[in-house]
Amino acid sequence: MVTLEFHDPSGRLEARQPHAPRLASLEGKRIGFVSNEQWQAYRMLPLLKTLLERDFAGIEVLPIDAFPQGNALIATEETAAQVKQSGVDAVIIGNAA
Amino acid sequence: MTLTRADFVGVMKNAISGLGLGPDAAMVTFPIELFLPGSDIAQVEARKREFYDGLTHWTSNLAADAGGESPMASVRGATFEDTMVRANNLMIANLWGDGLPLWPATRERVEWILRGSTLPRAHVLGTFPPRGGVATVEVCAIALAMAGGRPEYLPVLVAAVDAFLDPDSGSEQLQAASGSAFPVVIVNGPIGPQIRLNSGFGCLGPDPQRPAGASIGRALRLMQQNVGGARPGIGTMANYGGLRYTNVVFAEDEDNLPAGWPAHGTDRHGFAPGRSAVSLAFANGATNIRRRGAKKETPEEDALQGMHRMADFMRVPNMAGLAGYERGTPGILMIPGVVAQTMTALGWTKRSMREFLWEHSRIPAEHLRRAGGHAWIEIDASPVTRASRRLDPWPITASPDNIILIVAGGGHPTNSYWLQGYSPGVVGREIQVPEDFGHLLDEANRDLDTPAVAS
Repeated sequence: MVTLEFHDPSGRLEARQPHAPRLASLEGKRIGFVSNEQWQAYRMLPLLKTLLERDFAGIEVLPIDAFPQGNALIATEETAAQVKQSGVDAVIIGNAA
Repeated sequence: MTLTRADFVGVMKNAISGLGLGPDAAMVTFPIELFLPGSDIAQVEARKREFYDGLTHWTSNLAADAGGESPMASVRGATFEDTMVRANNLMIANLWGDGLPLWPATRERVEWILRGSTLPRAHVLGTFPPRGGVATVEVCAIALAMAGGRPEYLPVLVAAVDAFLDPDSGSEQLQAASGSAFPVVIVNGPIGPQIRLNSGFGCLGPDPQRPAGASIGRALRLMQQNVGGARPGIGTMANYGGLRYTNVVFAEDEDNLPAGWPAHGTDRHGFAPGRSAVSLAFANGATNIRRRGAKKETPEEDALQGMHRMADFMRVPNMAGLAGYERGTPGILMIPGVVAQTMTALGWTKRSMREFLWEHSRIPAEHLRRAGGHAWIEIDASPVTRASRRLDPWPITASPDNIILIVAGGGHPTNSYWLQGYSPGVVGREIQVPEDFGHLLDEANRDLDTPAVAS
C-alpha cells in the first residue's frame, strides 16, 4: 500500500469577535434596518416593519431609510457608527441576493 | 440578522467569517424568485417567526478553526497511480480543486517550494476575502504545490497575493461579485525571463517553454477559492467566471520597449527601472483586436487606423468598470513590441497614445443614456464618477493615466489585446527573492532543459 499525506489548502480562520447577543424579547425594543436598497428590499423590509409593529407591544421600528442605503454605503464605518449611535437593540440586514 | 437568497448563504457565511465572526449567522432565506420585480412577498409574512427567532433565539453551532499549521489529509492506495487518483478524488470532494489534475501538497513538496521565500512560512500576508482564511507564506506554497509550481515562482505569487489582499485592489468586493472579475498580474524586471514567465507569443495562454504564468495564476485562483471561499455559486456569484483557471500572469516585454518608453512598474507605481515587481489589476473581459491594416496603408495611416480601432473596442458602457473610474483602470491594452517601436518611430509616445485612446473612446451622452448608463453613474460611491455624469461625450475613465498600456505579445504587428477592466485600484508590489535564488534558477534549468526521452 502507498500512503500519501498532503496539506489542507483552506487556511485557518480566526474568530476575533463573538456574535451579538440575542434579545430576550422584542417587546419594547428598538429595531433598525440596514438596506442595500436592491432586490425588492423597498417592499420586503417595510412589510417586516409592519409585522413587527403589529406583533410586539411597545416596539419601535425605524424607517428603512433611517441609515444610509446602498451597497456602497452600508458597509462603511460611518454607517456602523450611525447605527450604534441610534441606540437600536438589533438590526435586520437585507436584501442579499 | 439577515434576509437573503437561499443560494447566497455561502456568500453570507464567507462575509461573516471575513469579519472575524464564527462562520455562521441568523439568516432567513428565500428562493431567487422572491427577489425579482413583481414577486409575491407574502412568504415574508408566512415566515415572520423565523425573523423573530433570529433576533431572539438564534445561536451559532460553529466555531472558527483552532489555528496552527495547516492540517493534513491522508489517502492510501494499492499503487502510486491508485493513490494519486484517490488524492485527486479527495481534493475534488473537499471542493479544493478546479477540475484539472492537482499535485497533492505533500510536506516534502511544500518544503521544497518554501525555498523560494524570503519570509518565514508562518508569516501572515493577510486574510483572504470574503471568507477570511489566513493567508500565510505556507498557504501560498501549498497552493503553488497543488498548481504544479516551483520554488522560483513563489516570490511572484507572494507579491501577487500581498497586492491582491491590499484593500485598494478591490478584492474584497470582487471576490464574491457577479461580474466575474479575474486578477491580471503584470510582472516587470529581470525575474520574468529568469523564471520562464512569458512576455511574447502566447503570453496569455499555456506555453510549455514558459510555464510559470499558468502555475502562478492557478495557485492564486486556488487561494481565491480555498482560502477566500470563492466557490462558484456558493461563495462567489460570478456568472461566467472566464479566465479563472489560471487568471492572467505575464511579463512585460522589456527587451522590446522603445527608447524612452517607461516600463509599466516604473510608470504606474514608481518602482526603480530594472526592479522586479508585480502590478495587479482586475479585468472581466478579454478581446483580441485586429490592429493592422489590410491593404496599402502608409505607416502613418496604419498607425492611426489601428489606434482608432483600439479606441473603438474600448468605447463600451462597461458599468462594472465604474468601480475603477477614479483611481483604477478601464482596462489593460497590450501591444506587441514591434508595434510600440513603429509607433515611436512615427512620433507617438506612451503618453500620447493613452491620451488619444482616452479622447477617442469617449461615449456620446445619448448612447450612454439609452443604455441606462447614467443611472449606474449616479449611484456610484465616488463623487468624481458621479460628477462625470455631466460630460458629453463621456470619458470611460477619469484620466488617460488610468489606461494601462503594456508592451507584450508576439513579435508580430497584426493584433493587440484588450483586457476590459473591473478594477477599483491597481496595486504594485516589489518582488523579494532569497539570497540563493540563483541556485533555484540553476535547478530549474537542470530540471526543465533536459531533452525529452521516451524511456
